[in-house]
Amino acid sequence: MLLDVQNLSVFFNGERDKPVVDSISFSLERGRTMCLVGESGSGKTMTALSVTRLLPNNASLADTSKIVFDRGPEPSVDLNDASAETMRQFRGSDIAMIFQEPMTSLNPVLTIGDQLAEAIQHRWPELTENEINTKCRESLEKVRLDNVDERLNTYPHLLSGGQRQRVMIAMAIACEPKLLVADEPTTALDVSVQADILRLIQDLQSENGMGILFITHDLGVVAQIADTVAVMSRGQIVEKAPVRSVLKTPDHRYTQGLLDALPENLVATRSQESSPLQMPQEQLERSYIEIENLCVSFPIRSGFFRRTTGYVHALDNVSLKISRSDVVALVGESGSGKTTLGRTLLGLIAPHSGSIKLEGDDLLATKSDFPKNIRNRFQYIFQDPVSSLNPRLTIATTLIEPMGVHGIGENFDERVAIAEKLMGDLNLDEKSLWRLPYQFSGGQRQRIGIARALCVNPEFIVCDEITSALDVSVQSELLQLLLDLRESRDLTLLFISHDIGVIEYVSDYTAVMHRGEIVEFDETSMICHSPKQHYTQELLAAVPRVSALT
Amino acid sequence: MTSAGVTHTSDPGYTRLVLSRVLKHRGARFGLIWTGLLVLFSVFAPLFASSHPLLIVNEGGLSSPMLRYLSAVDVILLLLFIFAAVLILIRYAVGRVYWSVVLVTLLISVVQSFYSISPPKLVVYEQYRQDVQLLESQLVLMAPVPFSPKDYLRDAGDTGFLEPLESSISTHWLGTDENGADVLSRMIHASRIALGIGFVATGIAMFVGVIIGGLMGYFSGVVDVIGMRLVEIFEAVPTLFLLLTFVAFFDRNIYLLMVIIGITSWPGYARYVRAEYLRLREQEFVQAAVICDLPLWSILFRHILPNGIAPVLVAASFGVASAILAESTLSFLGLGLVDDPSWGQMLNQAVQSSSFYWWMAFFPGGAIFLTVFSYNLIGDALRDAIDPNSHKMS
Amino acid sequence: MTTYIVRRLFLMVPTLLGITLIVFTVMAAAPGGISAQSLIEGQNLEPQAKKALEDYYNRLYGLDDPAPVQYLRWLNNVSPAGFIFDDDGNVNSFSFTKGSNLGRSFRVGRPVGDLLAERIPITLLLNVLSIPLIYAIAIGIGVRAAAKSGSRFDVTSNVILLGLWSVPTMLAGILMIGFLANEQHWRWFPTAGLSTREALDMPFMPHWDSLGQAAVFALSLLGFTLLFLVLAKLRATKIRPLLSGSYAGLFVGVCWMIGGSETLFGAVILGIVIFAIFQFVDDSGWRSVLAVLVAVVSCLFVYSFWSSGGFVRGFLLDRLWHLVLPVACLSYGGVAFLARLSRSSVLENLYADYARTARAKGLSETEVLWRHVMRNSLLPLITVSASLLPAMLAGSVIVESIFSIDGMGKLAVEAVQGRDRELVLSITLFSGILTLFGYLIADICYAIADPRVNYD
Repeated sequence: MLLDVQNLSVFFNGERDKPVVDSISFSLERGRTMCLVGESGSGKTMTALSVTRLLPNNASLADTSKIVFDRGPEPSVDLNDASAETMRQFRGSDIAMIFQEPMTSLNPVLTIGDQLAEAIQHRWPELTENEINTKCRESLEKVRLDNVDERLNTYPHLLSGGQRQRVMIAMAIACEPKLLVADEPTTALDVSVQADILRLIQDLQSENGMGILFITHDLGVVAQIADTVAVMSRGQIVEKAPVRSVLKTPDHRYTQGLLDALPENLVATRSQESSPLQMPQEQLERSYIEIENLCVSFPIRSGFFRRTTGYVHALDNVSLKISRSDVVALVGESGSGKTTLGRTLLGLIAPHSGSIKLEGDDLLATKSDFPKNIRNRFQYIFQDPVSSLNPRLTIATTLIEPMGVHGIGENFDERVAIAEKLMGDLNLDEKSLWRLPYQFSGGQRQRIGIARALCVNPEFIVCDEITSALDVSVQSELLQLLLDLRESRDLTLLFISHDIGVIEYVSDYTAVMHRGEIVEFDETSMICHSPKQHYTQELLAAVPRVSALT
Repeated sequence: MTSAGVTHTSDPGYTRLVLSRVLKHRGARFGLIWTGLLVLFSVFAPLFASSHPLLIVNEGGLSSPMLRYLSAVDVILLLLFIFAAVLILIRYAVGRVYWSVVLVTLLISVVQSFYSISPPKLVVYEQYRQDVQLLESQLVLMAPVPFSPKDYLRDAGDTGFLEPLESSISTHWLGTDENGADVLSRMIHASRIALGIGFVATGIAMFVGVIIGGLMGYFSGVVDVIGMRLVEIFEAVPTLFLLLTFVAFFDRNIYLLMVIIGITSWPGYARYVRAEYLRLREQEFVQAAVICDLPLWSILFRHILPNGIAPVLVAASFGVASAILAESTLSFLGLGLVDDPSWGQMLNQAVQSSSFYWWMAFFPGGAIFLTVFSYNLIGDALRDAIDPNSHKMS
Repeated sequence: MTTYIVRRLFLMVPTLLGITLIVFTVMAAAPGGISAQSLIEGQNLEPQAKKALEDYYNRLYGLDDPAPVQYLRWLNNVSPAGFIFDDDGNVNSFSFTKGSNLGRSFRVGRPVGDLLAERIPITLLLNVLSIPLIYAIAIGIGVRAAAKSGSRFDVTSNVILLGLWSVPTMLAGILMIGFLANEQHWRWFPTAGLSTREALDMPFMPHWDSLGQAAVFALSLLGFTLLFLVLAKLRATKIRPLLSGSYAGLFVGVCWMIGGSETLFGAVILGIVIFAIFQFVDDSGWRSVLAVLVAVVSCLFVYSFWSSGGFVRGFLLDRLWHLVLPVACLSYGGVAFLARLSRSSVLENLYADYARTARAKGLSETEVLWRHVMRNSLLPLITVSASLLPAMLAGSVIVESIFSIDGMGKLAVEAVQGRDRELVLSITLFSGILTLFGYLIADICYAIADPRVNYD
């Protein structure tokens, strides 16, 4: 056993009766990968941090916890007993860690080379400068970073998220650790980058035989990387078994629930019940919204007079037709221009050129009136349930103020009645109308976000990554609700997401975006099962799926 | 655990939470107590320190020269205080309409008292002391500090710069200044100026700063460029230089001084507000308000302002401190109020040629220090209370 | 970068115009304003002489023109390129090389340029001495407080610093003069000015009569330093109590040395206070008492050389002696403010993600602090340095008035009191220029310290 954890408990501020990790036990063998999987708040990150003893100051480990680490030829140690100084010796040399946020985990004012060299020097203090340099270069090559010599002298802010995560991994593996603790290392990355990083981690593992403790919330990733899985819920391990048995024949209800809520499994249930789609040609003829050659660009200014010397093209000649009552999905990686397109439709961003036609009328013809004309017909649901509601206003005010502006309801009481009915439609308590946003959970807030969009009776709603901040179980409920509402209110939806599974479940048509252009537009089933473009194929291949597990 | 959901930067329970955190802070409690004392002193100054007896009982009955000599400002302050106290006591019983009626009545009475109250122009302080000596049978109730701030004790000969507790007519607890006026009495009356200038000047600065900064942050573009230039102009000259110029060329009365200190210190607030508006403008709830076509004033002041006001309030609490400092610095440099007592002007008398009058440095200086310290403590506690990091770390 | 700097320099012009315009407007809008009458007010003159003087002033300064014309004329005089007028006031030609002319002071009658050339260096001297001092002390305290956050040092230093920050400059100045310089109390420092009259005749550097004496002095200093080092080596970890002791001892000794035995009592008390603060804050042992004694003895030893005659303190030491109180008065507020800022900035960075990464690499806390956290924590300090300069200029107004130093601050007070328009305008212009350059330098430093900033 490389790592043997017994009765690990973590609590905050000395509150022993309320542990965030509640006496869990697991073990990990050399050369194997163990996945800790769970939803947010399940205590998986705290578990990872306790193994490296990097817990925040106000968190502490229970005395009864044992974290026995086997150091190969040398005698094994209980990390919970080790002194701070011993622990420091282990970190970086025997135990390495990769963190979730690649954007903030590197020191912004030191070069990549400096930060790498530091780790190597700490591991082998006897090395000369040249040897360290060689090792730095080797480790960057190992993580398949290009232009290694140049990279050594650059600062982190010049690298992309994926590249930074590679540097983090290089730093971790440069010291040839026996145990690698990876805390959601791919969560902040796009799927294609995630696939690369996961493959890289696996390759490195087979090369030097380290044990990996991998923390994630994504069962698809688990299927791809894990040997054994421990499912965590509310600080406890509810199920612990080899990966196949957990994902194929789960014992515990909680695990079963998680698996059922996965978008890819939802798709299976939906495709059985849904009616056959209408003919595409017919739909395309009577299009509701028609976007033609839309360009959005942000100027780059430089030089003495701050003259515009170039443009960043956020949208590049985008054309798209949306028919009445359809759900059209926009899928793409971060920075592909999905959100820009959504916001441009709402008049939040002024396009550079092109036209947007609503039932044949060009909305951009009179620019000043554009936003006004569509306000009660177009609405938007935002991504972040925390920041999308004004924290100082009651839900009632949030819903009723726009109603007043758009003349819905004769007077205050009538508007309250409408709002109450709306809350009921969204499975929310009517009385919660008089509460403030902080009294709701993330899923509830997102439903209130939908209510806010619906309160002016729109025809068309842009849903911008509305489930990406939510746990899978909440996500599936919300998506079902959205589909019901679409049915009952005859809504047209533009559904923006990065998650192919979600899109497959929700949408009728899908547009794949890449670098501000629409690469492919077709029926969702076509896109998901027989994509024509190379980019779409790659994108699909990179999506980690539980079903891929054989 | 992920970072989301750990910090709700603003809830309304939040206002209460911040208040309770501030009140838990020992320094802030000290600051609030000292401010409370100052408010009492400034409201009841004529009762605490006056050469006019509070009550005289003689054969003819009762009379109160103190009341007769109250100025309009004295009366207004007393009225305001009593009204405020009553309102706070019955605050649960009144509705919104009632409130506005009360405020309007109050405003009318304030204006009225300005015109109707005219204390006797000529004041002879020595008269009472002579009277008391002559008619021993009279029962006379004096204020705790039986000297008015401008009572130069002409009847007692040369009383300039008496040390504390060195007695002339009666004991001066904190000594006398160069003209022979009682230091304690002057200090009590000066607390009015300090507080008045602190609050009103900060209020003006904050008002201007919020309007300009808000517009700058929300509209950005050209408005922002012009606004920032204006801010830069005001910030590029040390505020004290600007103040000196303003004060030297205009009349020196307290109201003008409030306005001047106010309009020279708005850029700081404008910067804070601008930064908050820039940040909040991109927040999704503001975008949602824009999409719902809500009117501009609602977006600016209903949706953005309440969420961005906390750092401005912190700045304001430090701002009160620096406004008080600005006034005392001006008075110290001899450019403050001409006739009224002020802590800074008293401090100026402490070192004269080669003599050092320590009580003139310690007491008024100490009062300035304590007041400034109080506001800094309150500001500090407030900043800690709204800072999500400080709670994560400790 | 060069483009950026040039651009910034050009953008200063509208700002400076705005500053002078505001100040000019204030002066012009003031009741009474500036007129020939106001200039000769109070002088007891015959009507004819009065009239003649008024005409003279009007001709000299153009005070009878409308305000905008006066402002434009002033602007034309000040700007290095502009119109040249002939004697009748007609435009003669436009020149790019006419040079700027700041005009002549109303009250003093001397060219404003000369006055400023005398005064600005003195104010700058005060500020240039104070700023590095402020930063060194503040960063030292701030880093220590943050590294030991929650400790006794952190808590006490926090309260003391907040208190220090709230002490009005004039109170501090008056207390310093009153107690440390005044005739009635301890005369350790001079009360006014920047040098004594005799010092102007002294050589620049301090010197002794004979080389031997200087050598003995140097040797004794060396000896005492060695003694301290040996004391420190005895128990290497406990160097702080020694330091605290020797600071207190040195303080007592120096005060004794300068002030003579009559002020010994005060010096001892102050020394004990310093000692107690160090002890309390540092939590260190009694051995430091020994250090106190060593320090006092060494001071006495030095004093015996000092007083044996033949020692001339020289212009440099004399100037430094005069500068102690004003610089202390000018810096303590900044120290308090910056120390608190650097504490919170270091604290914030100590818990940043990248610091956690560094710890995960196995670096020790010291390495994390000095290699990773420190440089990031400096960034807000650099930003603040821009606003430090205007604050220091304002501070020097007070400090120069209290300590009767003839710098720009004192000149500013005199100028506004005398309603000396040309002087006021030029002073605001120059303080504006100084401040804007401060901003620019701060921004450049920021760009150097933070690789993420790119100004091109």
